[in-house]
This record gives sequence, structure tokens and C-alpha cells, in this order.
Amino acid sequence: MAAKKLNIKDKYRLLTRDLDWDFSYEDRKDAFPYEEFEGLKITDWDKWEDPFRLTMDTYWKYQAEKEKKLYAIFDAFSQNDGHLNVSDPRYVNAIKLFLTGVSPLEYQAYQGFAHVGRQCGGVGARVACQMQALDELRHVQTQIHAMSHYNKFFDGLQEFSHQHDRVWYLSVPKSFFLDARSAGPFEFMVAIGFSFEYVLTNLLFVPFMSGAAHNGDMATVTFGFSAQSDEARHMTLGLEVIKFFLEQHEDNLPIVQKWIDKWFWRGTRLLSIVAMMMDYMLPNKVMSWKEAWEVYFEDAGGSLFKDLARYGIRMPKYSEVIEKEKEHVSHQAWWTFYTHGHATGFHTFIPSDEELDWLSEKYPDTFDKYYRPLWEMAKEKEAKGERFYTTGLPQLCQTCQIPMLFTEMDNPNQNSMRDTVYKGERYHFCSDGCCDIFEEEPEKYVQSWLPVHQIFQGNCGGPEMTDILSEYYKINVGADNMDMKGSPDEERWNKWKGTA
Amino acid sequence: MSYEVTVEPTGDIIEVEEGQTILDAALRQGVWIPFACGHGTCATCKVQVLEGEGDLGNASPFALMDVEREEGKVLACCCTPESDMVIEADIDVDDDFIGYPIQDFIGTVTEIKDLSPTIKGILFTLDKGIEFQAGQYINLNIPGVEGSRAFSIANKPSDSQILELHVRQVPNGAGTTYLHEQLQVGDTLDISGPYGQFFVRKSDEQGAIFIAGGSGLSSPQSMILDMLEEQDGRPITLFQGARNVSELYNKDIFEKLAQEFDNFTYIPALNAPEESDDWQGFTGFVHEAAIEHFDGRFEGNKAYLCGPPLMIDAAITALMQGRLFERDIHMERFVTAADGEKEQNKSALFKRI
Ligand code: FES
Ligand SMILES: [Fe+2]
Ligand SMILES: [Fe+2]
Ligand SMILES: [Zn+2]
Repeated sequence: MAAKKLNIKDKYRLLTRDLDWDFSYEDRKDAFPYEEFEGLKITDWDKWEDPFRLTMDTYWKYQAEKEKKLYAIFDAFSQNDGHLNVSDPRYVNAIKLFLTGVSPLEYQAYQGFAHVGRQCGGVGARVACQMQALDELRHVQTQIHAMSHYNKFFDGLQEFSHQHDRVWYLSVPKSFFLDARSAGPFEFMVAIGFSFEYVLTNLLFVPFMSGAAHNGDMATVTFGFSAQSDEARHMTLGLEVIKFFLEQHEDNLPIVQKWIDKWFWRGTRLLSIVAMMMDYMLPNKVMSWKEAWEVYFEDAGGSLFKDLARYGIRMPKYSEVIEKEKEHVSHQAWWTFYTHGHATGFHTFIPSDEELDWLSEKYPDTFDKYYRPLWEMAKEKEAKGERFYTTGLPQLCQTCQIPMLFTEMDNPNQNSMRDTVYKGERYHFCSDGCCDIFEEEPEKYVQSWLPVHQIFQGNCGGPEMTDILSEYYKINVGADNMDMKGSPDEERWNKWKGTA
Repeated sequence: MSYEVTVEPTGDIIEVEEGQTILDAALRQGVWIPFACGHGTCATCKVQVLEGEGDLGNASPFALMDVEREEGKVLACCCTPESDMVIEADIDVDDDFIGYPIQDFIGTVTEIKDLSPTIKGILFTLDKGIEFQAGQYINLNIPGVEGSRAFSIANKPSDSQILELHVRQVPNGAGTTYLHEQLQVGDTLDISGPYGQFFVRKSDEQGAIFIAGGSGLSSPQSMILDMLEEQDGRPITLFQGARNVSELYNKDIFEKLAQEFDNFTYIPALNAPEESDDWQGFTGFVHEAAIEHFDGRFEGNKAYLCGPPLMIDAAITALMQGRLFERDIHMERFVTAADGEKEQNKSALFKRI
């Protein structure tokens, strides 16, 4: 065996523990005011085991190399008109939803980790959070750059950042992260570092990346790989966080369990947009949402929770409901978008006959029974020139902000609605999960900025729907929204391909 | 066809099947290498190849950069060996690990005794002295059996010319069946060792809890004899689990030690005593005996577990619920052919347990 040099462990120790300092004339509590805020007990930060050991110089070296590679591929992609290689122009709508809904979350993750890193009394955790913050900043930048090429050729990408802050369905991902960021630092780490990064991120990235690969989108595939190479650090940080909290003090168990219950529910709700991307928006399918869910949540998450059981942690609350939802959510979500397609910043469409058959095959227990008839009806109407759009505005869940579109899982003909009264006001929810979360922290969720309420209160311009869409949302009405059929996107594509 | 891969800096040796990845083989054989994604995108499992060659597999160019490929780095989760290999992984070597060199020995059988209806004690003299840490194991080459079989050393290191092994006959196990049915006094066998990361962390001053099941008494026996011989004064507790009195072997040795040494406590536990056993001691599983004895609180100790996987599993849960965590739990799992190839989807939460 080679002689002992300064190994990675020692180097990392020098970077972290040895760069820390004592508070000699200031009260340590004033320096880390949120450390006791949530009731979590940290007795010894020295027990923090660095989940990865990456010194700053190596970090920059690696990241620089990754960027070099990535941007070389982006350049080649645009020089070769890579957008013409996608399987079908409908695919680009998935990109639009990703850029408006998901990429800004990377930016929020950056903000969140930068803040939380500052609040951790332990220097190991501080440095790990700082690196993750930098990664997330890199992710949002590279995603924007990857997609900027599409922006030159397709509608609906030009106002992603403005729209993220306003549009009705984008308030779902946005409020998810705001909820986490406005919690205490340790809840944020369980919410984003553990629940999201460790368990749910695979459901977001892996299907989306392989979706991109199956649909000829090399730019997205490449940023996906580049981001994934950072993701492992995020996942190991998430794991260390949960172990550390649970080992520090036994009183931490119920608090951590409550956060896990909350954030798994919040997370699965958020993923319903990914579900519909996979089942409906990718012209070349990778796997069904249900299959992805089984692999990444039930199998991988199941073995994680089996291990966590040693600490006394149990499966997240409402796991039984979550298990049933995999059969339904993608269908219910896409139907809602289809029927509200005049108010979306991307195009919606009826699945092709082939796709309908694929869905029947992938969802033998539910699709033909509940969802295929809807699409057959939509097809008939469309054939008669009566593509229909719902006129009303949907009611939103006070917690997850998703329109009340989900049904009872045991009775898919019955919409799922819950409500509760707080200080004389009645609040509405999509599920028991969301209702419970509200009841835990009502003062937080009464402040929810619900896009539909805001419209009715006159805070979003109007009064006409088209004014709100075009002036407040900056949706280019007639180009960005409505059905794929007859859209300018489709027209241009046919021209490029010489099929018009 | 399989290859041997040595994992430095611990020197653990794993067998990797044709087409199997290093990571998969390592995890299945109880050798931990850091990993996360398991499919070549995250770089957590990056290791340095020191000797030999392997196919890089599906390593993403972002997880394994060109320069790293040139330096001979590979991703353990994608790399399939094409020869025997030596790799260096980012794993910590325990400060208490002495790392005695692995050597080959010829052992001559001097005694075979029935310890219990299912366990035989086999004594060898060696052609030269062996240096090992109490708790470690050797590999035995058994005539007519392909590959080698691992057995923990039951004697203390100071008896370096001999080797005492405890062998339970495994149903359908070719190796243990040979040892039980054919081995004769006077036979010679090829032996190599010592191996393993199971040894007493002597630099740690906390109390030592040993939990042993079946022939898993071997390592703890060696470890305890060694500590007591060195006049180690920390509290030492041995929990020995067995079905019934006839399976509870070497009980006399430990009862005697418990009388002799104030700091040593011996607690046997039987989970299915026979009526005729007239058992007065603890009835139940061995981890339950530990919970009862320590009142469910294990903080301030280090635990050493040795035995069949199910026992180890139950013991880990008991210890963790009693707030003793991974850093203070050490174990040797006796996985046998009878345990079968259980497809276990392992999360990355724990490294060693
Ligand atoms: S475990 Fe992620 S690259 Fe090997
Ligand atoms: Fe990210
Ligand atoms: Fe991340
Ligand atoms: Zn809800």
C-alpha cells in the first residue's frame, strides 16, 4: 500500500473543521439564530460526517471541465439546427413546461441552500450547503442556455421567468419551494435536501432525460447528464442530514417524521406535472409514469424506508393513497390542461390513436374504464370542429395550489374535496394530505397567493380573460396557447420539414 | 469465469463474476464502496485502478472526465473487470486496523470435536505462525469444492501456531458437509489469511457488547479471550444465542471467565429450549436478551455482532432503537448457501450495516 499522504479526508477536514472559529466575544446563539427555532436538538455538530469530500479547488476544476464540455455540445447543437432532430414538434411543449415550471426551482434551490448554509452552526454542513447552492445556480444557468436555442424557433419560452411568478399552474412548483424556503433551515433540508433530492429528484430527472434522449433532444440530454453528476452530492447530503438529525437526539424523531410526511405529500403532488409529461407530452415514450413510480419510488424509496425504520421512521403518511394515485394522476392532470388549453403557455393536444393504445396497455386497470372515453369524446368534438375549452376558472387547493382536479382514488368519478374552517374562513383542499398540512400551520397557508383568487380580486388585470393572459401573464395569445393543431409552431415545423 | 478484485486501502478481496460490476460484487460481499446513482452518472463510486484492467462500461462523460480516464479512474458501478484488479477506493481505514499481511499456510488437522449437534470445532496446527487481529477470518480451500470458504478464527492471536474454527453444517453446503463428514485428523488443507474488518476497536474506550448467534461465537470468543488476556478493564458483555442447551456450546468457558473477571458478563439466550433442558436463563432471541439487560439503552458502548444475517438484522434494529448507531456497530455476517441469493435493493443510507 502506498505511503500515507494527505488523503482526501484530511484535506477536507482542513477545509471545513479547521476553518471554523469560536465565538469569543459574541454569543454563538446570535450568530445562528435559527438553530433552535424549530425545536430540533443538535447536541454535537462534530458528529456530522461529511457526506462527500470535495475540496474547493477540485470542485472548481471539475465544474469548469463540465461546463466546457456542455457548452461545446450546446454550440454544436445550435450550429446543426438540433431542434430539427426532435421526434415531433409536440415534444417541445414538454421543454416549455420544464423551463417555466422546473428550471426556476433550481434557482430557488440555490437561494435556499445559500441561506440555510449560513444558518447551520456546523461547518461541515455549511460547506456542503454552499457547494450545493453553487451547483444549483449552475443548473439553472445551463438549463436556460440549453433551451434558449428552442426559444429562437418555438413559441412559449420567451417569458419563462415572468410567468413563473404569475401563471396559475406555475404557482404550484413556485409555492412548493417558497414553502420550503420560508420554513426553518432544518425543515428546508429535510424538504429539499432529503425528500426532494434524495427520493423525488430521480423521478424528475431520469424520466425527463431519457425522454429527451428518446425524442432526439441532445441539448437536454446533455444538461441532464451534467446536472446528474452533481446530483449525487445532493443526495448524499440529504441522507446525511436525516441521519444526523435522527442520531442527535431522540426528541427529533417526531419532528423529522412530521416533515417527511409533509414533504412527501407535497412532493408527490408536485410531480403530477411530471407524470403527465411522461404519459402525454413525450411523443416517443420511455416508460409510463406508473412504471417510473414503481421503480424510483416504490422500489428505491421502499428500501430506503426499510433502512430508516431502524431509526423508528415509518413510511410517509398517506402512502396508501399515493400508491393508488399512480394509476390516475397523469390522466387527470393532462385532461385538466387539455380543457384549460386556452390558458396555458404551451400547446395541448389529444393523444394519437397509437398513444391511446399505449396508455390502455400501460394502465389496463384504469385507462379504458375512466379516461379513454374522455379522449374519444374529445376526438369526436374535434372532428366536428368543436375543440372545446372550459370557460370557468378552477378552484385551487389552499396548500398545493393545484386545481381541484383529482378524484377520490377509490372512486374516480368523485372529485376529491376537503375543507376546514380557520378563524371563521373556510379553506378548500384537494386531499386529506393537503388539509392536514394546512391544519398544522394554518397561519402560513392562509397567506397562499392563489392565482385564481388573485384574478377574482382584480389583482391580475383583466377583467377579460384574454387581458389577463396577454397583459398579466405575458402569454402571446393565439401563438403560445391553444391546441397544437393549427398552431404557429406546427405550421413552422411543417414548413421546415417541407410537409406543408 | 470470475476475477479477483482487491479493494485498497483495506485490502478486502472480492470475487467479481464475468459481466458483473465491481460495485455490485462488492456490496453483495459486504465490502462498502461509496455509491449513489448506481448507473454511471454521479461519480460517487469513482475509484483508482492500481493494477489490472476493466471495461469502463456506461460511464457518463460528465461523471468520468477524459483526464480521469487517462489517469486510470473508473466508476465501480459501471466497470466490469477484464483481469484481476487492484483498486483504491475513497474509504476510511480504521485506525485500529493493523493490516497484517495476508499469507498462505498449510494447516494440519489435529482435532475434530462435536461442539453441538450441528457445529464442529476443528483444530489445526499451522506450518508457520499467523499474525491476525482477534475477530478476523481465514479462507480455507476444501478438497473438491471450487473457490474457498471463509471461517472466523476462534482462538486468540497469542496462540499463533494453531487455528480453531467453528463450523456449522449448512444444508446443501458442499464445503461444510465435507468438513463435517469427510475431514479426518491428520489431513492438510491450504489456508490463507487473515482477512476482514471485524476486530475490537481498542482505541475506543467505551464498553464492549458482543452478540453472537450459532457458530458466530467464534470471532467473539477470540476477541474476548484476547481482551481479557491483555487485562482490558472495560465492561465486556457477551450475549450468546442458540436454540436450546445442546446448541449452546462453550458455555463453560464463558461461565468460568465471568467468575474470574469482574468486568466480563456472560448472558446466554435460548429461543427454543427443550423441556428436558430445564432452562433457567433467558428465553427468547439474543437481541431481546440484550434489550432486557441494557434496559433498551446502548449508548456509551461499541457493539460487535457475529452470526447469521437474520440475527444481525434484529440486533442492529435493537441497538439503533436503543440509540447506538452505525459508527459504533461492527459486524461479521455469516452468509451461507442456505441464505440464498436474496435480491436486496440496498439504499445508500448505511455504509456497513
Ligand atoms: S454510483 Fe453513481 S456513478 Fe457510480
Ligand atoms: Fe439542481
Ligand atoms: Fe440538486
Ligand atoms: Zn392539494
